[in-house]
Amino acid sequence: MTTGDCLLAVGLLSLALAGLVWCATGPVGERVVVSDGQKVLYTAPLDTFIEVDLEGPLGLTRLRIDEQGARIIGSPCPLKVCMGMGPARRDGDILACLPNQILVEVVGARAEDAPYDLLSR
Amino acid sequence: MLRSRPFILVLLALVLAGTWWRLQPEPGQLREVRLLLGTTIEIVAEHPDADRLEDAVAAAFDEIQRLEWLMDPQRPDSDVARLSATEKSLKVAPETARVVELGLDVARRSDGAFDLSLGRLKALWGLDGSTPQVPGAQEIAAALQGIGPEALQLEGLEILKSDPGLSIDLGGVAKGFAVDRAVAVLGEHGVTSAAVNAGGDMYLLGSRGKRPWRIGIQHPRKSGAVLTSVEASNLAVVTSGDYERFFEQDGRRYHHLFDPQSGYPADACQSVTVLADSVALADALATALFVLGPERGLELLSAYAGVEALIIAGDGRMHPSSGWKTFVPSDDSGS
Repeated sequence: MTTGDCLLAVGLLSLALAGLVWCATGPVGERVVVSDGQKVLYTAPLDTFIEVDLEGPLGLTRLRIDEQGARIIGSPCPLKVCMGMGPARRDGDILACLPNQILVEVVGARAEDAPYDLLSR
Repeated sequence: MLRSRPFILVLLALVLAGTWWRLQPEPGQLREVRLLLGTTIEIVAEHPDADRLEDAVAAAFDEIQRLEWLMDPQRPDSDVARLSATEKSLKVAPETARVVELGLDVARRSDGAFDLSLGRLKALWGLDGSTPQVPGAQEIAAALQGIGPEALQLEGLEILKSDPGLSIDLGGVAKGFAVDRAVAVLGEHGVTSAAVNAGGDMYLLGSRGKRPWRIGIQHPRKSGAVLTSVEASNLAVVTSGDYERFFEQDGRRYHHLFDPQSGYPADACQSVTVLADSVALADALATALFVLGPERGLELLSAYAGVEALIIAGDGRMHPSSGWKTFVPSDDSGS
């Protein structure tokens, strides 16, 4: 085996080990996807600390992503139901402001030990 | 180099296989969310044939859209809008007639705690509009004129109004009916495992892999927290709570579940969760039980075989029906 072969083998072995770790680490890469129900308006990783204004027909809905998850902290809608929904952090969690047509979804790998599949509210 | 090549190829194959495996979506599963019926509709379905699964979910959403057009009071050409506008009677689509039939049955059996003729009252409070407000006592009394279980009569596909000014609101049962129909469409396409969730009113078809679906029940006073959970398979789960839609005026909270007797938001409960074999029935019963309160609500429920409920009273106490605990998983950590 030449020095080049050795370097290639070590490189590939490192990649294979990294891949194994990646496979075993479970629900990583969760993202927040915002749409108007049809087309995607905005997307960001769930582990990003950010506040963003999302434009709907009524005006700007303010979305905050922090250590608690994603939640709506400002809205031009009359009843502010969306602001009372609390944080979304699990895969499949949904926040929605129907009057302003803003749909916020958390997507990513699902943890098998999650306490529930869906929330009745 | 020649001797080490197989080793390198094996490593390369390992890297590629690992990457491919990690990037695969969950096999045979599709999840889609749309804004319909004034809420979020989420369908999660499984089928080994991806094309067939996609067709099934699209057909289920089409069915919900079709029913929305029939029963949306904001659409001038819907059955509900035309029924509110008509003075005497109207022939409606079979689906609308079925919803009215089911709603009238729950209205009669609940002594009017559930009511399909609250359109005027709801418009007066304006909870679906941009300027909700507490109406005057005289306005409320006027809006309650002529309502009740006998306000509508169904003869075949013809609906007769006892009072020309009655405004019809099928919201308490139409959403559930649409979910039931979507589940039926999924079944017609060969789907045996699915969840159709209309803003928390849902039907769980089959199982989630090798176990039943597990459904968290929203805590009525802790936003984002789960009160308890149930395991469900071929079952409707519907929750109605005073935290869903409300406004505050002069330091007091007014929500969207009205007592037809008083014309004001009912205050006997914080939330009600109903388990039944149809979402339409669970939807109507959840509203009726919320208005009736724990004691009278559980009395009404005893007339419905196979239906269970968890009623959270106004003081926060939990009132489960006799068979509720059979749906609660043994490791449930809720209160």
